Amino acid sequence: MNGVIVLNIGSFLLIYLLLILILLIMKKSQIHQSKLLFLASIRMTLQLILAGYVLTYIFKNPHPLLTLIYLSTMTFFAVHRVLSKNKGLNRKFKMMIALSIGASGLFMVFFFVAVIVGESIFNPQYVIPLSGMIMGNAMTGTNLGMKTFRESIQSQKNQIETLLNFGVTPKKILQPFVNQALETALLPTLNSMVGMGIVSLPGMMTGQILSGTLPTTAVFYQIAIMIAITTVVCLSVFLSLYLGYHTLYNKRNQMDLRL
Amino acid sequence: MIRVENLKFLDIISYPDMQIEQGQITVIQGESGCGKSTLLKLLNQTQTQSEGKIYYRGNDLETIDTIQLRRELILVNQSLFLFPGTIRENFRMFYERREQIMPSDEELLNFLRICQVPFSLEDLSDTMSGGEKQRVFHAIALSFRPKVLMLDEPTSALDQETAFRFMEQIKEYCKKQEISILMISHDKSLTETFADKMIWLKKGVS
Repeated sequence: MNGVIVLNIGSFLLIYLLLILILLIMKKSQIHQSKLLFLASIRMTLQLILAGYVLTYIFKNPHPLLTLIYLSTMTFFAVHRVLSKNKGLNRKFKMMIALSIGASGLFMVFFFVAVIVGESIFNPQYVIPLSGMIMGNAMTGTNLGMKTFRESIQSQKNQIETLLNFGVTPKKILQPFVNQALETALLPTLNSMVGMGIVSLPGMMTGQILSGTLPTTAVFYQIAIMIAITTVVCLSVFLSLYLGYHTLYNKRNQMDLRL
Repeated sequence: MIRVENLKFLDIISYPDMQIEQGQITVIQGESGCGKSTLLKLLNQTQTQSEGKIYYRGNDLETIDTIQLRRELILVNQSLFLFPGTIRENFRMFYERREQIMPSDEELLNFLRICQVPFSLEDLSDTMSGGEKQRVFHAIALSFRPKVLMLDEPTSALDQETAFRFMEQIKEYCKKQEISILMISHDKSLTETFADKMIWLKKGVS
């Protein structure tokens, strides 16, 4: 297999021209998000360049502490992003979400690197990219799960109030909302598994093939990461909602549904 | 059956002391914002009072299990809720949530008849009018055989004739079963005909 072709900076910059195409379509469809497109492109570019430098430094000077700092920062930002999208939640619920994303994400990174790959948990070449995929998916899944949970509760306040007045326990009232949100959060990951290899070659596998890894090796990594991602999404959403929904009522079975 | 003493809510509403007798129909009246609906929520403890005591059968509400309390004092709120599907499915869903076995078809049909519902158990609730849904909703509440039935504007979506027939039947059933009714209603003629006792609430803190 050949190694990867390093992109020429001049040709690379041409990719930014495609943003003009997006801008034109946005304008035609009256989507007023050009500012966001601009901001997102700038942020992505700067963040990735920075990540590139940081990773180069860490790979050249591998140290367990640096890997740990990187992993902690990643976990912190994943938690922060989910919490900033769910500002109305009570403090305890937020703590449960942070705990769920942190615990399930870190468990999955450890299991993948130490057990499946069989590498040291401090090896930055494995821990950093794999934890990025795991934490990123835990974050997206939990966000989707929480959004569904909040929205369905807000649209069904009348149902909840009625059931409470009819002597149904808050647990029995809220469980269907938890189940529905978990299902909604899991579906995109499950659907992407179905189309994998036929509709698309997934990101990690593409990257490995481009950099010269044998496709058969890349396939094993991809299968392993997909199962790890599905598990981490399931775990973090389930734990967030399951531990979190108990904070919506007190011992007197009175509910506070400000979400 | 229920006794209320020095009751206040959030220091914005204060209630007169009152007593609700078993098997009687007590009607609460008062201008908007005087705390009529809030009183029902305090009685079933979905809200907590800031001051005062409520006693149910001589026991302080604070010492009673709230789920058991709400099963004995059912509050049928004004903004009714039914699940999508047939009337039978609605009964099933409510009973399933309360983890109770559904009564026989014959009994369910009897509750529908009491509440003036002219449909079978297989009819869809989705296509019913507001008034019809309201009566199905009350039939479900009544089928749980509460000790106190708290009704918030139970006839708001019914015409005068249906409202009277509905109340007549409910009153007859509740008197027989010794169920107390605590009802909020703005309908003067309905109140005059059916109330055993009236409670007037005033706005604000006295």
